Amino acid sequence: MLLTGPSGSGKSTVLRALAGVLTDSVPGEPAGEVVGDGVAGLLLQNPGDSVVAATVGRDVAFGPENAGVPRPEIWRRVHAALGAVDLGLPTDHPTRAMSGGQLQRLALCGVLALGPDALLLDEPTSMLDAASADAVRRAVVAAADATGATLVVVEHRLGPWLDHVDRVVVLDGGRLVADTDPAGFVEHHAADLADRGVWVPGLPAPAPFEVPEALVAPDEAPLRLRAEGVVVDLRARTLRGTTTTRALRGIDAALPVAATTALTGVSGAGKSTLAAVLAGLVAPRSGRVAGTDRPLHRWSSASLARHVGWVPQAPEHGFLARTVAEEIALTARRCGRRVEVEEVASVLRLGHLLGADPFRLSGGEQRRLATAAALAHRPGVLLLDEPTVGQDRGTWAAVTGWARAAAAAGAAGGVVTHDADVVALADHVVTLERGVVVA
Amino acid sequence: MRSWLPGANPLALVAAGLLAIPASLAVRDVRTGLVALGAYALVGALLLPSARRALGRVLVVVVGSVSIVYSTWLLGGRDIGTAVAAGLRVCLLAAPGAVLAAYVDPVRLGDQLGQRLHLPARPVTAFTAALQRFEHLGAVWAQLDRARRSRGLGPSRSPVARGRHAASLAFGLLVSAMRGASTQAIAMDARGFATAQHRTWAEPAPWTRRDTAVLLLGAALAAVPVVLHLAG
Repeated sequence: MLLTGPSGSGKSTVLRALAGVLTDSVPGEPAGEVVGDGVAGLLLQNPGDSVVAATVGRDVAFGPENAGVPRPEIWRRVHAALGAVDLGLPTDHPTRAMSGGQLQRLALCGVLALGPDALLLDEPTSMLDAASADAVRRAVVAAADATGATLVVVEHRLGPWLDHVDRVVVLDGGRLVADTDPAGFVEHHAADLADRGVWVPGLPAPAPFEVPEALVAPDEAPLRLRAEGVVVDLRARTLRGTTTTRALRGIDAALPVAATTALTGVSGAGKSTLAAVLAGLVAPRSGRVAGTDRPLHRWSSASLARHVGWVPQAPEHGFLARTVAEEIALTARRCGRRVEVEEVASVLRLGHLLGADPFRLSGGEQRRLATAAALAHRPGVLLLDEPTVGQDRGTWAAVTGWARAAAAAGAAGGVVTHDADVVALADHVVTLERGVVVA
Repeated sequence: MRSWLPGANPLALVAAGLLAIPASLAVRDVRTGLVALGAYALVGALLLPSARRALGRVLVVVVGSVSIVYSTWLLGGRDIGTAVAAGLRVCLLAAPGAVLAAYVDPVRLGDQLGQRLHLPARPVTAFTAALQRFEHLGAVWAQLDRARRSRGLGPSRSPVARGRHAASLAFGLLVSAMRGASTQAIAMDARGFATAQHRTWAEPAPWTRRDTAVLLLGAALAAVPVVLHLAG
């Protein structure tokens, strides 16, 4: 069964109620009851959130341990789950050295090891690149077929799932508006839902928003940045010391002005690290970012902000103010620039939220606000880290519209993405694989 | 040989570290303190895989002890012998534990606490899951730091600005950690953690001869100052 509806329609809440974890996780007064028996397994949107152990094997074993399963049976189930999902990693592989797609398949293994009668999936592929999403989806479908478990999927992008479900339930505003089969859904409800932001199959990506040039035209001549032989080691501190991994292994890539450049590649290829290097946020171990007299990573925060805007992957990591309006104005004030807060907000469909607390917005609203917060002061270089992941059509059109308008006005735009529709919009494409440029 | 000690049972390592605490109470004079610390240092030099890593941790303890020496000298009748003995006592109290903590694997410790010491499974499991998130916090910290820098709100070079910046990051980290912890709790409960009655463990918690040897070695080292004190 596919459970769908616009943002805020109550899909995730229904799923958590089915999983029996509603009372503790959501504020509010529950009423009514969930009837049924059997084991339900829940898979959440953010891959990292489900990890409970340091190694693959122990993580998958967590459910059976809780169920009091004897040790030999635990490991039989762990190996069966790992085999069903085809994770391709040994049981002693550390969970911290895994990509988002691998973590999501690990979480699926953890759910399968429970021997569930129902698989409840809360946007399990929305944070993943196309190849990883496909692998997760195939693993889910194969597992559901093999175990005969009931499958309930909540997704924004419906296309790939429709072939695998018998029933589509549409929610809106906390109410059930349709309970039909895939054919009936496509015929009667798809067009309406697309207008409400849901990605339904057969429709092209929406047109990016038109953003007035005055809001995005760079205030100063954009830097012409170029990575030359950039090598980056990322250090991770753990309780038992520091580990270093090489994220970039000698990258040459330019960020041309008056154009958008898509930085793409599978999860863990080093795309985000390259964007952070180009944004002057990470110092290369060797090589350099050409285009400035002094290395960008040595610039003071204030002068860096005048030239470079960077939108973090998780919007809430970028929020620094108490209201939406302050958030939009903050960096501009720091740079001594004027910004038309109300106009920026209304272009990004945030006009009615100017006084709201950034942390209380919905996921899509947070994403649009993070874009405005990082870019409203009109820097010449824009770097956006996975701006469309998990977003509905409206937010997708807003962030792509902003980046395209800025590039049209002369800015150098870089977008880290694995979204094929975003790559299709870009003027240049840089493809990374394991820390090197492959195309 | 160099992996003999770090690979030992975390319970044995923790016990060896903790035994130094009662041992430190026996340090009443400089000679006892020096001999006891010397014994620990000798064993450490022979068995620890990385001198640099251990010295880094010892240095922190030494800095703390120096302040103890100074304040004891100042307030304790300006007797240099008493003051140095007090400093040595604090060194002995903290240094072995600080060095050994680096080799304690939280997951193996959890297995031992649950199966060998039979502590309640739920708090032990919650504890190891929380330690698991600790490493994730480092990544969040980096993201928060980058966001502030790119928005023109990074710190200047002054230590005061850096202090304020760190405080602001810490708050952001706290907010993020709370959100992460509540989602992790949902994921754990959805995998039966909330309703677990008789939890089993995927890995055994073995106790080997090596672990006994580590424990005895820890006890022998802890006995050095006690014996000196009783004999002297």
